[in-house]
Amino acid sequence: MLAFLGRRCLIAIPTIILISIFVFGMQKLLPGDPVLAMAGEERDPEVIAYLREKYRLNDPIVVQYLHWIGNALRGDLGISLRTNQPVTELIGEKLPVTLQLAVMALIIAMVIGIPAGVLSAYRKGTWVDWVANTIALSGLSVPNFWLGIMMILLVSVKLGWLPASGYQPLSEDPLQSIKTMLMPAFVLGTAIAATLMRHTRSAMLGVLKSDYVRTARAKGLAEGVVLVKHALRNALVPIVTVTTLLFGELLAGAVLTEQIFTIPGFGKLVVDAVFNRDYAVVQGIVLCTGIAFIAMNILADAAYRVLNPRMTDL
Amino acid sequence: MTDPVLSVTDLSIRMQGAPTDLVDGLSFDLMPGETLCVVGESGCGKSLTALALMGLLPTPPLRLTGGSARFAGRDLFAMSAPERRQIRGGDMAMIFQEPMTSLNPALRIGEQIAESVRRHSGASRDAARQRALEMLERVRIPAPHKRLDEYPHQLSGGMRQRAMIAMALANDPSVLIADEPTTALDVTIQAQILDLMRALQQQSRTALILITHDLGVVAEMADKVLVMYAGRAVEAGPAASIFRDPQHPYTIGLMSSMPSLGTRTDRLVTIPGVVPPPNALPDGCRFAARCPFADAACAAKPAFDMLGDGHGVACWHAPIEQTRSPAPAMGAIA
Repeated sequence: MLAFLGRRCLIAIPTIILISIFVFGMQKLLPGDPVLAMAGEERDPEVIAYLREKYRLNDPIVVQYLHWIGNALRGDLGISLRTNQPVTELIGEKLPVTLQLAVMALIIAMVIGIPAGVLSAYRKGTWVDWVANTIALSGLSVPNFWLGIMMILLVSVKLGWLPASGYQPLSEDPLQSIKTMLMPAFVLGTAIAATLMRHTRSAMLGVLKSDYVRTARAKGLAEGVVLVKHALRNALVPIVTVTTLLFGELLAGAVLTEQIFTIPGFGKLVVDAVFNRDYAVVQGIVLCTGIAFIAMNILADAAYRVLNPRMTDL
Repeated sequence: MTDPVLSVTDLSIRMQGAPTDLVDGLSFDLMPGETLCVVGESGCGKSLTALALMGLLPTPPLRLTGGSARFAGRDLFAMSAPERRQIRGGDMAMIFQEPMTSLNPALRIGEQIAESVRRHSGASRDAARQRALEMLERVRIPAPHKRLDEYPHQLSGGMRQRAMIAMALANDPSVLIADEPTTALDVTIQAQILDLMRALQQQSRTALILITHDLGVVAEMADKVLVMYAGRAVEAGPAASIFRDPQHPYTIGLMSSMPSLGTRTDRLVTIPGVVPPPNALPDGCRFAARCPFADAACAAKPAFDMLGDGHGVACWHAPIEQTRSPAPAMGAIA
């Protein structure tokens, strides 16, 4: 397994280089010259020349890229134009927040989506299936922001069970941190839970018809064992694939959710950076997200190998 | 005389919305240690019968419409689901046709056998694993120690069917149902698997219901034969009697369509016509449309008459020797 993971990481390197070229190129393709912006109203040619020299903008583009990627490898992604903070520091501050939100949302989605999918496949055509499908459809149709606002109104304002907004770092007060994050994670997780439920259902429907499920029943095993040990285990491969893909949706959804619940996470950082043309920050975020995505895919590949012993030589 | 280990009376199975039963009034007795071969072409209800006895009938769309199956003094069809599970895989086990797809691809062979042992005997993990190993040795899988921790895809077709047999016999069942256990295998492997099943059966006195459409297998294995056609038993009796003196025109047709070495004919003998589709089964004799002996009497359902020696047949014209006018296709044996 370790050798496999090592190999996958090596294969990921060209992909990361491609992402980095894209991220770097993006800045060059965007309209507007940051130097002109920095030079201020007067646009003194001397100042402009100085700035160009300082930021190595006179170098050939390849040299600029190598310089940038070299710094990135050493953990230096530049300085935010807006806050003058190093980008790495900004990301290091915000990333754990969003990661916590995403992981909690994913857990909530799996806890709801997978059992619901299993049950609705097992009870196909009955009221259980019907109820699960209806809820799933509502989950898909209801916009995140609306659900978020409604939940704040109900759970926080009316019932006062959970805080409406804010953020508590996990390291300082884990319980409080999970409590504040619970509602946003739920809002973010439900949409994904619906998709996950639909995919679990269809994967399970296929597996439940298979001969080995019949064999499992022929052994006299209890239905729960047949469903989980024999059927779900084999249905998990497509479920893992969908979950990996949903991770992207999760990061995108986090932007909105963080706005609604005023969570100081990645999403807010992205929005602020884009509106303020804070390119260094945008670059850093895109690079990080890309790498996170690749990491998710490697994890999914590892999961496939555990779930499906036939996938031995990938 | 000993009591039958399994006694099926009037078993009927129907498809949702169908006007007639797919399996219609099937009855048979199975003695301890006996081998009963159920013969008939595909779609005649052999496998449905097996699934119904195991309690694995996909309901809906299929459902039992009548009959009883007495097993160890109790009616299987009257039992609760947990009671059925207690018997299934324990005292009554089944082997399926497709060893390729009948084993769980994600679980190790040893675990798949051991889990059945744990379920029925309450054995510890180690004891069940030990039993799995013992069973793999008994079914003569090469390198059984290694196989325990292998996955189904690492085994050949023959080895997988051996593993299935090991799994089915792990709890010393008194009845084993084998649904075409050799059909999906190479011919050379088929004989090995049949030999193995017979040897194991003799060791454990397990009664075997062997479902097949291969009369060669029947000749090899059967003590008793049950011939089914379009959901009904058309003939049943001791294997020797059926092979020596088949009475039902369908049985006769089956036997004459079996190619044999030595007598080489230009064309293989076939039974003319096709099986009636399940939604258009006639009330009378279901074979009448293809039968060279059919006449007006065949429009009524023939009773299953005993001819003696436990040999019975459902045909208006039995005993067939007294009936004239054999058709050309049947000429080969007349």
